[in-house]
Amino acid sequence: MLKKRLIISLTFNDGILFRTKKFHPDYRYTKNFVDFWTADEIILLDVSKKNKLSKKFLEIVKYFSLNCFVPISAGGGIKSMKDVSLLFKTGTDKVIINSSTYKNPNLVKKISKSYGSQAIIHSIDCKKKPDGNYTVMVNNGHIDTNYSPIDWANIATENGCGELLINNIDNDGSLLGYDLDLICNITNRFDCPVLGLGGAGNWEHIYQLFKVTNVSGACTQNIYHFTNESLKSAKSYLKSKQILIRE
Amino acid sequence: MANINIVDVGVGNLASLCSALERLNISFKLCKRTNDFQDNSKIILPGVGAFGNFMKKLHERKIDKLIIEKVDKKKSLLGICLGFQILFSDSTEYGNHKGLGLIKGRIKKIDSSKRVPHVGWNECVFNKKSEIFYNVKNNSDFYFLHSYFLETYNKEEVITYTNYGLKFPSSIQKQNVFGVQFHPEKSQYNGLQIIKNFVERC
Repeated sequence: MLKKRLIISLTFNDGILFRTKKFHPDYRYTKNFVDFWTADEIILLDVSKKNKLSKKFLEIVKYFSLNCFVPISAGGGIKSMKDVSLLFKTGTDKVIINSSTYKNPNLVKKISKSYGSQAIIHSIDCKKKPDGNYTVMVNNGHIDTNYSPIDWANIATENGCGELLINNIDNDGSLLGYDLDLICNITNRFDCPVLGLGGAGNWEHIYQLFKVTNVSGACTQNIYHFTNESLKSAKSYLKSKQILIRE
Repeated sequence: MANINIVDVGVGNLASLCSALERLNISFKLCKRTNDFQDNSKIILPGVGAFGNFMKKLHERKIDKLIIEKVDKKKSLLGICLGFQILFSDSTEYGNHKGLGLIKGRIKKIDSSKRVPHVGWNECVFNKKSEIFYNVKNNSDFYFLHSYFLETYNKEEVITYTNYGLKFPSSIQKQNVFGVQFHPEKSQYNGLQIIKNFVERC
């Protein structure tokens, strides 16, 4: 049976790891906090304001690919096939596309033709509007696309992305739990694997995500979750609740 | 001399496979053209992307023919992911394409109630013994990332099966030809053991 994935998501600003609190940096931590062997997958995102996918970030991707034999997904500011090719050459297994779909929806199509749809995760940053509906935000939450997450995910999957990564940016860093309604709504409508991101503050939140929705993986960005013991304890908690995970 | 020839036709991520071999202290050579291949070395054929495109790249460089010749001369070959699928006769990915035809079988799109692609850690259940699974326990987890699977095959050649709504062969051996649908270079200890076994025992 396929296991539910526990995915570590790390964000980097100019090559320095920080914990997102709605995209405000916190520089105290380093990549040394990460347990390479208990995580099922690692996501590396470049959130630098300028010089996206810089040499510094590529060094980090390379570091992870050389030191942990788990799948690595990377992105943040991918604009062209050249960026994509560079990331794959550096050790990325899957690229994460987000804002570029706003200006260049064909990019996902091109990547899927060359590398296959299994090599693309489409990340979707969502925000709840005052009327209760959701809208998709791009450019680190600065531009409102006026698209609903469902419409946006339709575009992404039709263009050939293999997985969807759903984030409510208001929950991001809140430690109050995932946006289960939003994530449930997407997982029920799409046939590809869906990953939930944003808001995990404790193991119960991760359990709720797996219990309530049909996600394939839970991403956590909370740096305190990245030490060896804590990931193991998360997994034994989930196991005790009958969630199928890899030990 | 390099122990392993790695086929490198410029698609996808070879960095992890290389670092896995480095970790195991196994020397290797990336082979972009036929004259890069060392005579007495085993071959690893990693691959991602589309079946037809990958086969075309091998054909343009005449590497397809070379691999078949090496296998005839009893050199061991390990296909990984798309490199596994390409060992078989043909595939229906984006039209009909011929594979290397080293093993009889057909590749088809996953058509089940499950989500596609099949992504994540799943179990390999033993069907027969093979040196490539030496020191690996039955039902061990490996990392999968694929939308196509081996649909028709010879049961005697299947080492392990994996369940994902349907039961499909996740590893195979026909004499000196080995193939794994999962990514050993992404499957931590178990995956490194598979690579080590191929180099040392197959």
